[in-house]
Amino acid sequence: MLEEKEFSTEQSLQLIQEMIGKAKRSYVSKGFATIVWGALIVLCSLVTWAQEQFKFSIGFDIWLLLLLALLPQIYFGIKERRSKDFVAHDEQTMTFLWTAFAICIFISSFYNGMYGPPSFSSLIMMLYGIPTFITGGIFKFKPMILGGIICWVLSIVSMYTPYTTDMLLMAACGLFAWLIPGIILWKRYKKQQAANV
Amino acid sequence: MFKELDPILHSQLRLAVMSLLISVKEAEFTFLKEKTNATAGNLSVQINKLKDAGYIEVIKQFSNNYPQTICKVSPAGVNAFEIYVKALQSYMHPNGNGQ
Repeated sequence: MLEEKEFSTEQSLQLIQEMIGKAKRSYVSKGFATIVWGALIVLCSLVTWAQEQFKFSIGFDIWLLLLLALLPQIYFGIKERRSKDFVAHDEQTMTFLWTAFAICIFISSFYNGMYGPPSFSSLIMMLYGIPTFITGGIFKFKPMILGGIICWVLSIVSMYTPYTTDMLLMAACGLFAWLIPGIILWKRYKKQQAANV
Repeated sequence: MFKELDPILHSQLRLAVMSLLISVKEAEFTFLKEKTNATAGNLSVQINKLKDAGYIEVIKQFSNNYPQTICKVSPAGVNAFEIYVKALQSYMHPNGNGQ
């Protein structure tokens, strides 16, 4: 037990090191979600490959298993989060990163399942959304979070529009993802500079 | 010349709490108690001292009908911790050649 007594500088540094080490060891994840997703992706890919290679059908779309696996993942994720008694620094970043990934996988899989692979411009707009959404999330800058979401909405719209219209949508992506947030940041910077003078 | 060590941080339990809180975004009282092996009473007193110094923020709330105390280090706390570590280094390497 730690007591209130005199201690040397070496002991201080040792204590800091020990506590940072203890906190770091608490970060360890059970890896349950990673194992389930890894196993499912391997299984679905191999079954799809086998069906193509050996010309047979299992009678249903094996990739639907990913949707079924989502429910226990959400349940265990919430349970694990509730039982944790600390929040790591990078947790919010990871949440925004995996949310962006999940949204993009959902949009592309949905369209691919319905109409085939999406167009190049749709994919580009989807990609625009990823760094914008994550950057906004990390810096708690709502205009960029919103910009990222707008990119994904416009990406979905572009799946149903001709190439020429896609270019107008892409211009809107540039406007909402970067131009408007950039102007807001510039104004804040100028205001801060004026306050420091 | 040796820099003076911050008396708020130069205490075993308070330094342990600050080191833990620097490593995470925020932590519950139970997390700090488990990692420091301190008694609830002593930990509570030291947390209040850190709070009064403005080094940590303490949020008291209810979670599933149970009281919950969440602590997180403040910007002033981060600054004080950095100054404290630099002062420790100056004690260990007085000529400044240990950097």
